[in-house]
Amino acid sequence: MKRRDFLRSTALASTALMAPSFLMDFQSKRLLGGQAGKKLVVVQFSGGNDGLNTIVPYRNDLYYQNRPSLALKSSEVLPVSEELGFHPALQSLRELYDEGLVSILNNVGYPNPDRSHFRSMDIWHTASDSSDYLATGWIGRYLDTHCEGCDKPYHALEVDDGLSLALKGNLRNGFAVSDIAQLKRTTDSRLLKAVGKYGATVGHHDEENVAYLYKVMADTQASAGYLHQQMQTHRAKAEYPQTPFGKDLKQIAELMTADSDIRIYYVSLTGFDTHANQKPQQERLLRQYADGMKAFIQDLKSKRLLDETLIMTFSEFGRRVKQNGSGGTDHGAANNLFLLGGGLKKAGFCNAAPNLSQLDDGDLKYDTDFRQVYATILNRWLEADAAAILGQRFEPLALV
Amino acid sequence: MDKIKHLHWRAGFGLSVEEWMERRNWGISKAVNHLFDEAKKAKLKPGAPVPEASGAAEEATREAMLERIKDERRMVALQSSDWLQRMADPAQSALLERATLFWHGHFACQSKLSPLALAQLNTLRSHALGSFRELTLRMAQDVAMIRFLNNQQNRKDSPNENFARELMELFTIGRGHYSETDVKEAAKAFTGWSSNLRGEFVFRPGQHDYGLKHFMGESGRFDGGDIIERLLDQRATADFIARKAYRYFVNEQVNEEYVALLSKRFYESDYQIETLLRTIFESDWFYSPQNMGSKIKSPVDLMAGILRKLNIRFENEFSLVFVQRALGQVLFNPPNVAGWPGGRHWIDNSTLTLRMSLAGYLFNSAEVNLRTKGEPEAAEREKAMKKLQASVDMSSIFLLLNGVSDEQIPDVLADFLLQAPAPRFSEVLSEYLHGNLSREERIRITTMALMSLPEYQMC
Repeated sequence: MKRRDFLRSTALASTALMAPSFLMDFQSKRLLGGQAGKKLVVVQFSGGNDGLNTIVPYRNDLYYQNRPSLALKSSEVLPVSEELGFHPALQSLRELYDEGLVSILNNVGYPNPDRSHFRSMDIWHTASDSSDYLATGWIGRYLDTHCEGCDKPYHALEVDDGLSLALKGNLRNGFAVSDIAQLKRTTDSRLLKAVGKYGATVGHHDEENVAYLYKVMADTQASAGYLHQQMQTHRAKAEYPQTPFGKDLKQIAELMTADSDIRIYYVSLTGFDTHANQKPQQERLLRQYADGMKAFIQDLKSKRLLDETLIMTFSEFGRRVKQNGSGGTDHGAANNLFLLGGGLKKAGFCNAAPNLSQLDDGDLKYDTDFRQVYATILNRWLEADAAAILGQRFEPLALV
Repeated sequence: MDKIKHLHWRAGFGLSVEEWMERRNWGISKAVNHLFDEAKKAKLKPGAPVPEASGAAEEATREAMLERIKDERRMVALQSSDWLQRMADPAQSALLERATLFWHGHFACQSKLSPLALAQLNTLRSHALGSFRELTLRMAQDVAMIRFLNNQQNRKDSPNENFARELMELFTIGRGHYSETDVKEAAKAFTGWSSNLRGEFVFRPGQHDYGLKHFMGESGRFDGGDIIERLLDQRATADFIARKAYRYFVNEQVNEEYVALLSKRFYESDYQIETLLRTIFESDWFYSPQNMGSKIKSPVDLMAGILRKLNIRFENEFSLVFVQRALGQVLFNPPNVAGWPGGRHWIDNSTLTLRMSLAGYLFNSAEVNLRTKGEPEAAEREKAMKKLQASVDMSSIFLLLNGVSDEQIPDVLADFLLQAPAPRFSEVLSEYLHGNLSREERIRITTMALMSLPEYQMC
């Protein structure tokens, strides 16, 4: 189908059919009895995690010189190689690492790094060059392009009340929900139900944007109903930490267990902007992360889902090598990135440790463009056309 | 009547009950003149001095500094709420605020200090309907802009091209009409355009490159003003702005013929913004059916529109900040220098659900339990239980319905509230309007139901 025709047919579909496509996907899949396929879970550390105190170069003098009070002692860290060790709060992650379920990429970044949270996060979300501004995200464009000409569109879900730019496409968006029961109550309100019924009765809207709004609403109502029903029947029995992050992961596991076509999940852990008194704050967050991940992975393993699940954890930037005057660190550049799952090509460290002697204006230099990671995941994990989605060709990596 | 509503939505934020009753039978030219007359009488909000940035002993600690940054962020947030209420206030010039909002999205800038945000807003307001030449020059000398686009760091010995590039790519001539050399040379011309600690624009001769610049086929010892003059001498700049204005004020789907006409008038008037906007509002095609009710309201349009129609008092002063954030448009905080993408980009399942539930929340003073984005510095993801506790004063709506029979209430209200038609709306209502309801209760529910329709999201 030519792009023009495709656009016309989707416009037609949205005005004439008013079908809750999300629900239809599930139904068609059930009829086909197909296998859901590989899943991606993206974990975002918001605020800029200090990677150097996460994966610690515990034998590097420069690390200790730059961080007189913030450095972790070599006796504290959990060593995993000659050079690098985990933050002590990452004990659970260390156990996963020992099982071969963790890959670590150091020095991930992009050219001309931006040190603003918003801007750098946008760059990660849109996968643009740092001089470009895009209004769509890499996952949104995956939904767009992967959907083109295929009979089985997939969906992406973010565990949050707002949808991140990463999940916004031109034709399709991901779905945001933090609390499925609450969403169900909202869309079931007498008023929204009545409006939904009205939209279905009127059926035909001349104005394309009005038709679009009705379509999104119908999708939302159908999705809320479907997700709620799935949650009811697939309550996770595994124990998760009693943290908001643990709760989010549990919800994801429940949906993954359910017979759902959601291929990408997106979840954030916030609070990494540690300009002052970093130690207790980062320790708490890293512990939440590691303990959550361990419970999640054990749960997936027991359900035989681990081999088809890949978890990517990133942050919008790392922090400066030198600590600041108040027991914290300021915004930096390149950072580490984690991949977890059962299908890793190379567990352990994928590249060299950060070079603390060659800095770019006090920050780590990147040697791996984050879009190489995206390209690898898109091509090899999600079997999509990475070059079309990213708008450029990036050298894939031996990750999955 | 539909035309009058259309004009007031695109040139303002819709009509209050009183305005609607007064103006609904006006002719277009009378209404347009009235809007421009109001704008000419408008007064600016007085500015505020920038607090001394350093030096004081208590500022010396980092913690104190972080605390102040946080305070300023709150102040800027409250200012965004202030501005929103000004847009909604019938005593202010709606056209001026609308044009100012357009330019805020055009010269998109994130402001971190409240006095700088206010100063920029006043600059935008002062020139929003004046000369685009003057406006562009003022924005190049605006301190929040200088800091946002790193012109502080643009010095003779180490030029920073950020401002020069965005000036061409996003503010004036647009991509495809300049070279990388033009960017480099323009950056040189803006060296030394800086600001002091008091938040004032200063020109630093020691940092300025007085050498020859080669810009768009000309050579000279140009400074920033010369660059702007040359950019605006190009017809491509008029084209670029006319197209953007068309997409904003008329329709996202561009009609090339009308854009060409707008561009020509704009260029020939030497960039008089009033000429550009008058041409739009006084053209027949502006009122054609495919342009009316075809635009998805931005979150700010939506909120300002609601506040203009209903008298709403929020208990929490941050309620309007919360709504902006949850719906994805925070004033003084556009996502990046390209501004808000608009249109369908406003809509996803979560924003649409909130938009459609908003009237219900307001009328029932509900608690809304939502996590909002855009706070990366937040200490942690607190469970954000946000209250939209508000009192809704319906007295002006009752006034509108004075003498209207119960059966006619839905039609009269739909006429007042909706810009896109909602045929057979009464089917939604029938779910609600049964049993023994008082007339006031009927009016309340009908208003709430109309404001919950997808059609209400259109303007």
